[in-house]
Amino acid sequence: MSDESAELLPGTLDLLILKAVSLGPLHGYAVLRRIEQISGGKLLIEQGALYPALFRLVRQGLLKTEWGTSENNRRAKFYEMTARGRKRLREETNWWNQSVAAVTSALRARPQEI
Amino acid sequence: MSAYLRSLGRRFFQRAKIDNELAEELRAHLELRRAALERSGLNAAEAERQARIEFGSTERFKAECREELGGNWIDNVIQDVRFSARTLRKSPAFFAVAVLTLALGIGATLSAFSVVNAVLLRPFGFSNPQTLLWIYSQRIDNPRTNFSLPEYCDYRDQNISFEGLGAIASYNPSISDSGEPERVQGVRITANTFAILGLRPLLGRTLIPADDKNGAEPVAMISYGLWSRRYAKNPDVIGGSVNLNGESRQIVGILPGSFALPNLDTDVVIPMQPESDPRRNSRNSVNFLRMVGRLKPHVTALQAHAELDSIRQNLHRQYPDVYTGKIGLTMLPLTEEIVDNVRAVLLSILCAAGALLLIGCTNLAGISLSRAGARQRELAVRTALGATRRQLARLLLVESAIIAVVGGSLGVFVEIFGRRALLRLVPTDLPRIQTFAIDWKVFAFASVMTLIAALACGLAPAWLLSRTDLRDAHVSGGRGSAGGGMQSRLRTWLVAGQIALALVLLANAGLLFRSFVRVSSEQPGFDSANVLTIRFSLPQVTYTDRASIVQFYEKLQPRLAALPGIQSAGLVSILPLAPKSISFIHFTRPDRPPSKPEDTPSTNYRIVSPDYFRAMGIPLLGGRYFSEEDDGDRPPVAIVSSVLAKNHFPDRSPIGQRVMIDDNDAEPRAVEIVGIVGAVKQTNLETPARPDLYLPLRQAHKDGVPFLRNSTYWVLRTSPNIPTLEPQLRGEIHHVDPGVAVGDVRPMADVMKAALASRRFSLLLIGSFAAAALFLAAAGLYAVISYGIQQRTREIGVRLALGATRGRILGMIFKEGAVLLTAGVAAGLAIALMLAKLVANQMYGVSEHDPFSFAIVSLILGIVSLVACWIASRRALNVDPVTALRCE
Repeated sequence: MSDESAELLPGTLDLLILKAVSLGPLHGYAVLRRIEQISGGKLLIEQGALYPALFRLVRQGLLKTEWGTSENNRRAKFYEMTARGRKRLREETNWWNQSVAAVTSALRARPQEI
Repeated sequence: MSAYLRSLGRRFFQRAKIDNELAEELRAHLELRRAALERSGLNAAEAERQARIEFGSTERFKAECREELGGNWIDNVIQDVRFSARTLRKSPAFFAVAVLTLALGIGATLSAFSVVNAVLLRPFGFSNPQTLLWIYSQRIDNPRTNFSLPEYCDYRDQNISFEGLGAIASYNPSISDSGEPERVQGVRITANTFAILGLRPLLGRTLIPADDKNGAEPVAMISYGLWSRRYAKNPDVIGGSVNLNGESRQIVGILPGSFALPNLDTDVVIPMQPESDPRRNSRNSVNFLRMVGRLKPHVTALQAHAELDSIRQNLHRQYPDVYTGKIGLTMLPLTEEIVDNVRAVLLSILCAAGALLLIGCTNLAGISLSRAGARQRELAVRTALGATRRQLARLLLVESAIIAVVGGSLGVFVEIFGRRALLRLVPTDLPRIQTFAIDWKVFAFASVMTLIAALACGLAPAWLLSRTDLRDAHVSGGRGSAGGGMQSRLRTWLVAGQIALALVLLANAGLLFRSFVRVSSEQPGFDSANVLTIRFSLPQVTYTDRASIVQFYEKLQPRLAALPGIQSAGLVSILPLAPKSISFIHFTRPDRPPSKPEDTPSTNYRIVSPDYFRAMGIPLLGGRYFSEEDDGDRPPVAIVSSVLAKNHFPDRSPIGQRVMIDDNDAEPRAVEIVGIVGAVKQTNLETPARPDLYLPLRQAHKDGVPFLRNSTYWVLRTSPNIPTLEPQLRGEIHHVDPGVAVGDVRPMADVMKAALASRRFSLLLIGSFAAAALFLAAAGLYAVISYGIQQRTREIGVRLALGATRGRILGMIFKEGAVLLTAGVAAGLAIALMLAKLVANQMYGVSEHDPFSFAIVSLILGIVSLVACWIASRRALNVDPVTALRCE
């Protein structure tokens, strides 16, 4: 991992996984690669921590699983978006954008603007 | 939610599979990563290592994944259960006591409940039972009397309130087929009744209106009880024939076991065929019918009552002399009337069993409290190691849940045995008791009991825990902490509550006992010692008139009298205290006609042979007994009881007087009173003797023949201590006429016992519950006192060292016990007096507030409690001050 990569904010892993899987069914390792890829390699994820998060999302009914074959011809578990997962991703994305906008504007504040 | 349940289910039922898949998934990840690293230039070993480092601890993530699947609490509970089981194994005495207490308490309550369920709660098999009414004719002295056939037909044809009215009469035929002839109790019933009741047969069909048509094929239904007893539940009996009173009938159906009618046994049911009955248009004919009806929709019972009563008044105007004494109608909900006599008894038994269980639970709560107290140190250590208060409370609750579940399961076994014992004790007149099954209601009841028990035993210590500062306990070594005070106060109140409940049960038992003693010391008016009774019925075909019955009597009488050990033998139409047999007639004194027709007096009516009075030990008070010369050729005579003489001949001796008796379907006839005998309690021991009038067998009216044929008893006075005569008796009767069905041969003492059976039953049950409650309350008191002493060993040691006498110490302890006892007894007396109304109808000869009973049971409770205190306090006396002070 490169030095510019950042520690993940708490709570964002689920959102990133949802985003990654929303682009098509993936197995666990591919989820990791996809997140690295879409974040430009800037987010650092502890690889093992991915799996409890995946299990959690499955339990919440946001993802569903199916066993299939990976690119190296091994059996692998594929994660796929459910309708509820899609809805949740929309909500979480909105929430994230609003929070980021709010925090950003708060940080931009200058003394004379108050 | 469903996704959660699915994952929970998978986690539970596919544990191994999930673990394998999880391992495989993580392995696949590592493999892919390794391949990627190898492609980027690392050698195989290096790539493998790097992949593992980047992944982190696989075991940790596996555990986290499993946790994410949910259902951790299940694991936690399993862990708690394992741990609690271990703790309980370490204190087997506590576990055994707790489980046994619960098993007995739950078993007793469950037994009582399953009887209540079978008799009161179980559906009767009627559709919409709330619209079914049971109808009696009301008379001045008796609200529950019968209708005559023409009267029934008038109500049936004229009313507009009922969808249908059925009529029922008792019918006790002898039954014979391939087996031994037997007397059974049944009913004749108008064939529309089953449609009115909406009753489905267990097998075959019910009676249908066509069965009532003149010339219809003779049919019969039999009860579930008779079917299982006599036919071993063979379904092939349907369509077969059975011989009832010498008449062959086809069995068309089996009644369900839940079926019952008020105060009537239903072993056989045959159609009444009212239209072809000779009494159909005989206005003055005998009253022998009860009615049942189903209200039309939107008609209330009150409206129906008003309508039937207006019909009655019309009939009264039309036939004034026939309606003598019938002043109204008594209409009661059918299902309530069936269980009317037994409801209060059964419910009080259930309450008593419940109270016993409650006392048991309270005891356990007390013991668990002490245990929690003793374990404060252990619990404090757990807290220090990071256990939350909630986890500790859960631990205690799980512990009591284990006890409750084991106790409850054992309770179900106790119930099975208890029910057998109960059934042996149950008086046979409990309706619907023969078919008796545990259904879901009993199981639901058992589960609720168990749950309550678990909460009762676990909540108190758990609550205590929430109020205690455990660090304090840790420091002080589990003694004298704030929780200790709270805990002993709580225990004290529990014990006082136990004493109160025990007193309520004892008071109830005391009242029942006094009533029982009073009833059983009642003089029945005859001498039951050394008397044998036989009931039999005569086949309809051969015994058509009085002469045939007299002939049978003349043949049998000398044979019976000649048996060794027989002192006298007599015949009577209805035995005193025989269940469910009522026979009375109206009579008038010609010189004193009643001012209003409804004031016509009535009397019990018995047909007897001359030696009956001697055999039964009924004393002659004046005049003479009947003799064999009082036959059809001589003027008709009668003997009356002292009650009749006193009530109706206050002015002169009745001997030599004539009365007009209404014992036939035509006109009242005159009989001359030739003797006065002692009063006899004919129906039960509780109600005072009513007037009796006896007629000689040889002068019985021809309209009384069916009645005699149906029900005849032979009464035999024997020498004391003779061996059983039953085979000889049966042999003699069989020799005279093999077609006669011989019923039970019973000593008269047994008949008297049976008359008290219902009282004995509730007394025994409530009495044993009360004894158990007394024992438990005493045990509770003992435990709380000895626990207090144990806690205060040091204090006692100090007091002794400072010069207190052992007497003073004892006094201190007894004072504590006395306060508890007084509080408990006072509360118990208050509750018992409040509840007294509920048992009032089971009292006889004592008031339900009987101060003597209350005083005695309080005294018993007091003595037993003080003994418990004394046993507990011996430990205090043995405290050695030196050891006590050193034991820090």
